Amino acid sequence: MNKNLNLSHQKITQLLDRSAAQIEPPVLQRLHDARMQALVRYEARSASPALAWAGVWRTRGAPQKTHFFAAAVLLVAVLLGTATYWNQAADSDTSDLDIDIAILTDDLPMDVYID
Amino acid sequence: MSLPRLFLLCIFLLCHQPALAASKPWAKLTPLQQEALAPLANEWDAIPEEQRLPFLRLAKRYPRLTEVQKQRMNIRLQRWSKLTPEQRKQARDKFRSFSKVPIKQREQVRQMVLEDEKSTSLPPTHAAPTDSVR
Repeated sequence: MNKNLNLSHQKITQLLDRSAAQIEPPVLQRLHDARMQALVRYEARSASPALAWAGVWRTRGAPQKTHFFAAAVLLVAVLLGTATYWNQAADSDTSDLDIDIAILTDDLPMDVYID
Repeated sequence: MSLPRLFLLCIFLLCHQPALAASKPWAKLTPLQQEALAPLANEWDAIPEEQRLPFLRLAKRYPRLTEVQKQRMNIRLQRWSKLTPEQRKQARDKFRSFSKVPIKQREQVRQMVLEDEKSTSLPPTHAAPTDSVR
């Protein structure tokens, strides 16, 4: 049984070698190119398994979605930061503004406060 | 408009919002701002932009003032605008110091000044309505 199996392996190998020798050069070239492409893809995936999910997203055409989402988050963060900054700046001026209003509207004349 | 451009425009507008408001000539001010700053109508366009911002803030508070307060502000605003930033700062410092005086003494000073005003009967600035505004 085992001998038969070995024989059949040898036969298969011989048959394949004989068949490969009979394949025309353009077909061989295409097979070689396909193999190289498959190897490149395999190496790329095994090099960054953590980003495999991103690859899946990318293949579904989602990079624009991710870019849009990231830009929107950044926009909101910057808008909030800027608004907070201006509010604080306005607050620091509030006391001066309150005093200006008081001086300009008080029943005491303005000269009391001006040299 | 692309997202990055929209983003940059928002940032620019937010950062320059006060400056944009202060850069407006008199004719472009809102009716409310023109009413509040009416005493400065003739000189507004000559006031440096960086000095307009405090007046615009005053104008924002104007609707909340009583009629008497509005009258006083209209009378005093022009003179206030002629003061240098240093003079205004000194006036604020004096106001702060006066606010720290005990209320009883403050009222005494207030009465003395008002009586002095009545007796000397000086120009309109000094003859502003005297009812309490606080």
